[in-house]
Amino acid sequence: MRHLRHFVPVLVLLAVLGTAAAQGQSQYAGATLNVSVESDQYSAAMQALAPDFTKETGIKLNVSILGYSEIYQRAIADFVGHTDQADLYTTDIVWSCEFAQNHYTEDLTSLIKRDAAELKTDDILPVMWTLGSCDNEQIAFPLVGYAGVLAYNKAAFDAAGLQPPTTVKQLVSDAAAFTKNGKYGIVMNGARGSPSAQDYMFYMLMTGGSLLDANGKPQLNSAANVAALKLYASLFQYAPPGAVSYSWGDRVTSFGNGNAMMMMDFSAGLDYLKPGKFPVSGKAAITTPPVTEGMKPVYPFGGWGIAINADSRQKGAAWDYIKWLSRPDIRKRFVELGGQPIRTSTLTDPAMVKAYPYFPVLLKAFQNGNGDFRPRIPEYPQIENAVGLAVNLVINNQETAQAALDAAQTSVEPLFK
Amino acid sequence: MKKTNLTVEEQASRRGRRGRPLRFIRSLGALAWVAPALVFVLVFAFYPVLYSFFISFFKYRLTDPSHQRTFVGLGNYIQAFTDPTFVVAVRNTLVFVVGAVGVETLLGLGIAVLLNRELPGMALVRTLLLAPLTLTPLVVALVWGALYNADFGPLSFYLKQIGIPIGRGPVGEPSTALASLILVDVWQWTPLIALILFTGLRSQPTELHEAAAIDGASPWQRFRFVSVPLLQPTILVALVIRTMDAFKLFDSVFAITGGGPGRATEVVNYYIFKVGLTFFDMGYGAAMSTLLFLVIVGFSAAYFRVLNRVWTNV
Repeated sequence: MRHLRHFVPVLVLLAVLGTAAAQGQSQYAGATLNVSVESDQYSAAMQALAPDFTKETGIKLNVSILGYSEIYQRAIADFVGHTDQADLYTTDIVWSCEFAQNHYTEDLTSLIKRDAAELKTDDILPVMWTLGSCDNEQIAFPLVGYAGVLAYNKAAFDAAGLQPPTTVKQLVSDAAAFTKNGKYGIVMNGARGSPSAQDYMFYMLMTGGSLLDANGKPQLNSAANVAALKLYASLFQYAPPGAVSYSWGDRVTSFGNGNAMMMMDFSAGLDYLKPGKFPVSGKAAITTPPVTEGMKPVYPFGGWGIAINADSRQKGAAWDYIKWLSRPDIRKRFVELGGQPIRTSTLTDPAMVKAYPYFPVLLKAFQNGNGDFRPRIPEYPQIENAVGLAVNLVINNQETAQAALDAAQTSVEPLFK
Repeated sequence: MKKTNLTVEEQASRRGRRGRPLRFIRSLGALAWVAPALVFVLVFAFYPVLYSFFISFFKYRLTDPSHQRTFVGLGNYIQAFTDPTFVVAVRNTLVFVVGAVGVETLLGLGIAVLLNRELPGMALVRTLLLAPLTLTPLVVALVWGALYNADFGPLSFYLKQIGIPIGRGPVGEPSTALASLILVDVWQWTPLIALILFTGLRSQPTELHEAAAIDGASPWQRFRFVSVPLLQPTILVALVIRTMDAFKLFDSVFAITGGGPGRATEVVNYYIFKVGLTFFDMGYGAAMSTLLFLVIVGFSAAYFRVLNRVWTNV
């Protein structure tokens, strides 16, 4: 009888879990998860949905929103120091292999396999898995997929009797045609660093270039990449003069104000399509990016996954959150609150397509998306930095495309030895 | 009662010996009071500097999957001197420091002289002058970045209105980008120098100025031969403060130019940030930080040497 007292806490725990289960709550009810989220269009959606998750599961969420550099630096410091500052991190697609090789975040492969039916993994577009995959590991679960698209001023194109370009040649001729009377045909991100590097990479992919060769070695100065950089630099003659210093926000402002007629963009925000946000709202549209004539369509793909810190002591609760967040019904609400889709069912749902008429474009872009045009390798920050400098030097007429990319290639080669 | 014939020195020595334990206890007490500050400085200032110096001799990338730290001796320092970006960054930093601190000192001196005159509304002017100093440098940089925008910045708009073509904008042209960042710094920090020099002017004895005036010195002569020599120590203090700070330029490069166009605004502190906190190449970043630290210490030591000489003469 006296041994029974040892069972009392166990019985109490079972009773609590039983009560929680009876109320539909998680076995981790009462736990608090710290979630670090990059400041982006989807972060507000994650914050807005947090109370619903808590209500449903009893697990509390502390959602911290951080800038891009801040979340990366904080995550690395957390992982290296094993300080368990956050249980979950949203992770950029390009961090995938760096995190996988260092075992910073939990490999979710077996969990995904185990819960495949519940997760409805068949409904998630294949390209979305690149948001956190490396070799045979899945170190993050797809959260938001961004398709590379061409945004264009439909009203201006209609008035000119033009269709949006489907080839790079048409893109250049359309850009030239619209550059008159204080308006510009196209606008790019020219600012040194990530803005110009990533913008150039869109055009590189559209014209058949690639930063790595088949063996995974850098080939920044390949003939295709040099040609792409020449093309990219030549487009600045059809862009607003200040575009050489533009970052993402400036580019959207220029397009949104009706100053420029086209721009390549990730489908992260698409604010210029929303009513009343910009003067061009209601007159703009998006389409898949043009490619070089005869080339098989392939479109830039990026986005964010959500990963569990390998040092987290609440991995069960964290996985519950990921599963909840990926539920088809939650995904629809997530999109309505500013997030981006990962599921075919979201992109083809009639009500959603009615609310977001551009979803068929996104679906096509995702189906032909390439998540590796920005290499998902640990050396990516250095590659992006080298390419960003090269592009900026060329658009400022300080170097030729060949010389700038040769220098970029020389600077990154030691990283691969 | 036994009479003692001790000399004054012997009496003092005895008192000293008797007082030693007491003084020791008092010292311990004093140490206890400063201990928290001392620990803080040791942990948050000394240790990071020493650790940074230590890892500057290693090839150490924080995100390297092998987690290896390889001793490379002076390898990182040699790399710095052969790295074209670092060399350009050093050159740009020196141009920035000389340009910004030089202009701020000249303008600051002029403003200080104006502030020292008893004109109506001067109290309000002095207060308003503090405004730029209260703003976060990053916020200042973001505002100036918006002002500089060639296509929808207000500065560009008004310049175009009066027929001045601005092309790619002040920060879009390699020839004007660094000067544009100097202007941001001058806007924010000239008031600091002005206020420091103003307090220096205020503390000067009026008798010397009155004597010079009686001797027939003109206002310019009084300024040149009385005010400026007396102000030299204050000018040097202001220079030390601003020079050390200017070497650490980061915010405006981060927020406005990203080091571009090309390498036109690449500066040492921003490059260290990229290498250390984007590439996580801690060894190389630490080596460059050590070099920057040594340059700042060198400049400061030179200033203090001059300052000592000036103080002796004054």
